[in-house]
Amino acid sequence: MNSSKQVNVINRRELMAGVAAITAMAAVMGSRSAHAQEGTLAWWDHFQPLAELHERMWANYAAESGGVPVEHTVMNPSDMMQSLQLAFRSGEAPDVASIPDSLAVISQLLRAGRFASLTDAVSLDKPVQREALFDGMHIVDGEVYSFPIFSFRWHTTALWFHKQMLEEAGMDPDAGPRDWDQIAAAAQATTGNGRYGLLLPIQFTGRMEAHLDDLAQMAGGVGPIDWRTGQYTFAGDQYVEALEFLLSFQENGTLHPASSSLDARQGRVRWAAGEAAMFTDGPWNSGSLASNMPDVIDGIGVVTNPMRSAGSTMQVGPAAGTFWVTEQSQMREQASELLAMMTTDEYYVALAERMDQPPLDLSAVERADVHETYRTIVREYPETVRLAPEPLIRNPDIAQVYAQMRTVSPGLGEIIQGAFAGAVPDIRATLQEYQDAMTAERDRAISVARENGAQVSVDDWIFENWEQGTDFAPDQYS
Amino acid sequence: MARTAPMGSRTQLVQQLWRDRYIYLFLLPSTALFALYTLWPIGVSIYFSMLDWSGFEQAGRFIGFANYKELANDRLFWNAFRNTVTFMVLAVPLRVGLALLLAILLNQALPFSRVFRTAIFLPVVTTAAILGVVMRFILDPTSGPVNLALLQSGILDQPVNFLGQSGVALYTAVGVWVWKWLGITLIYWLAALQTVPKDLYEAARIDGASGWQRIVYITLPLLTPFTIIITLITVVEATNVFDLMLTLTNGGPFYATEVIDIFVYRQAFASNTPRLGYASAASLFFGICVIALALLQLIILRRIRQKPAETE
Repeated sequence: MNSSKQVNVINRRELMAGVAAITAMAAVMGSRSAHAQEGTLAWWDHFQPLAELHERMWANYAAESGGVPVEHTVMNPSDMMQSLQLAFRSGEAPDVASIPDSLAVISQLLRAGRFASLTDAVSLDKPVQREALFDGMHIVDGEVYSFPIFSFRWHTTALWFHKQMLEEAGMDPDAGPRDWDQIAAAAQATTGNGRYGLLLPIQFTGRMEAHLDDLAQMAGGVGPIDWRTGQYTFAGDQYVEALEFLLSFQENGTLHPASSSLDARQGRVRWAAGEAAMFTDGPWNSGSLASNMPDVIDGIGVVTNPMRSAGSTMQVGPAAGTFWVTEQSQMREQASELLAMMTTDEYYVALAERMDQPPLDLSAVERADVHETYRTIVREYPETVRLAPEPLIRNPDIAQVYAQMRTVSPGLGEIIQGAFAGAVPDIRATLQEYQDAMTAERDRAISVARENGAQVSVDDWIFENWEQGTDFAPDQYS
Repeated sequence: MARTAPMGSRTQLVQQLWRDRYIYLFLLPSTALFALYTLWPIGVSIYFSMLDWSGFEQAGRFIGFANYKELANDRLFWNAFRNTVTFMVLAVPLRVGLALLLAILLNQALPFSRVFRTAIFLPVVTTAAILGVVMRFILDPTSGPVNLALLQSGILDQPVNFLGQSGVALYTAVGVWVWKWLGITLIYWLAALQTVPKDLYEAARIDGASGWQRIVYITLPLLTPFTIIITLITVVEATNVFDLMLTLTNGGPFYATEVIDIFVYRQAFASNTPRLGYASAASLFFGICVIALALLQLIILRRIRQKPAETE
């Protein structure tokens, strides 16, 4: 009797020891799951639409001799940067990461030694690949650190519309509205019975900033920086007129009233549901509609460059590297092998079929099985999107200026939001204030960088040989 | 003697420590956790606030009080400060007062009072972030039930963009926050009301006091100690509205609802060039202001409580 009692009864001390042991085990298991398992490559990115494609490729790679499994984490862009900040400091960085941020942050990370160069497993010898690589951006001291998988030839401001709604309003549903007057007329004609002409994702300030940059250029502007003078152009007529044009939809009641509290994803859903006739979005709208609202996409039309004045072009800088191997990675070779899989013709076709940002090789879109809206939109990019100069390529010390440059607030996106909310009564004066603040901040950053030994000046932003409407070729940097 | 006295007291101290060793042993875990999760972050934040640091480099550059000097001239920081104070000034009296009113009502033997208590408490257990998203649908200018009700009842002829107009958004956020947390304050008040002796009401009723007089001369004076603590808790809670505000308005439109929490988050993580040092300085500065406010509140309320005693 006694012996059985001793076996079955747990005393207080044993209970405490048991709880402590369970807690310790949970802590150890928790810390392991926070990072990739031994022998597994950790990959963080923000490309949800590409997840299935990549995970399929990686599964094949893992099955090969010498391959390793990939632990894939897809994050929101804002969470991603926060996670990377903490991960780099705590030694928990993934082997490969995408950087959903500006060139300033990428060059800052590159300068801080956070990335490792790629091994010989990556070979970038196709013309379209060689043309996309630049010193200071992708190459440092002759070593390739990253490469873009997407083309630079795209922009965010295509006009998407419900063909039937335009047809009912007596407009040509195949051509779509193609200038400011036609868009305004289409908005007026389609507004009524609880439906609105246009929906804009005003709560997403980054998107609205991109829209205004694009619209100002479609109206003949040179972009945020005039490369002939190196000066910011936010107070120029094109910016003011483009913003006034957008505001006119609110003034005449054709803008969806919920626009100011909707971001791009929410806006897309409500526009697709028929609450508005037109919506501004990038080429990925095709992919998003095809996967989430397949019944809607065939009734959708798109104008790649709405409001385009004769001969106007978009000036877009070189595409930054998409994925970066971190310096904390112990699997550089395997990471490079995985990245090499993203340089093939088959990959570019598969990438095009996701209908997200266009692939580095735009011709892959013609070979791919994509929706007609995606083909239409991408087909126009080579004609209307031009490669702008990038000061960092001519002078690598510019990275130090980028690292010092702080965000100017309110930014362009916030000013747009403020104008719609009635908090910006004088648009031109506010844009002028923003332009002056940007200039002052750049001057301050240049001055700090110079104090730290960088050989930089505001002249680094001047490219006298730049011509609007042409690609700025690599040989023009010299 | 001069040498032996300290020795004696030291021995006494050691003996006392040994005698109370189990007290210290049991205090150790909570002390360690407090040091680890409260004192250490505060200390590190003070150090960070003196750095120029994006968080991507291994270490920042020490710049002394430069972040604090910059804060003093940052109009968006002061805008966030003003929004936080406005939020607090509007939301705290509303939440505390409304909850008291409801508590007095629901403390009576009314029909369905338990149902009402549950209904008012329900938003408390809902996640603030989810609530923020849901409220965006409810307050939507075109399809939201609030606007539809206002339009169909003829109160309005145009929908109100509750979250999209800079002059309305902060007040809307106050309303949502008060509604969300009203239930917990109601519970505090209901608990406090149980401490008021029933015989006082009985005596007052016999003396012919009206319902209003019983509230003013019995209930409210006896609830004063609870008022202090409930208000203090609510003030502190009103400065921590990050999750609700981020999902409800993200600080917009045009910074109209940007409270300090959102300002700090934007500087530390959501900016093109993150500034952990500057964000730390902003959060510390505001933390000191909240502590000062709480102390001021305690001093004022104590004075108010002492006055009747002094006059007696």
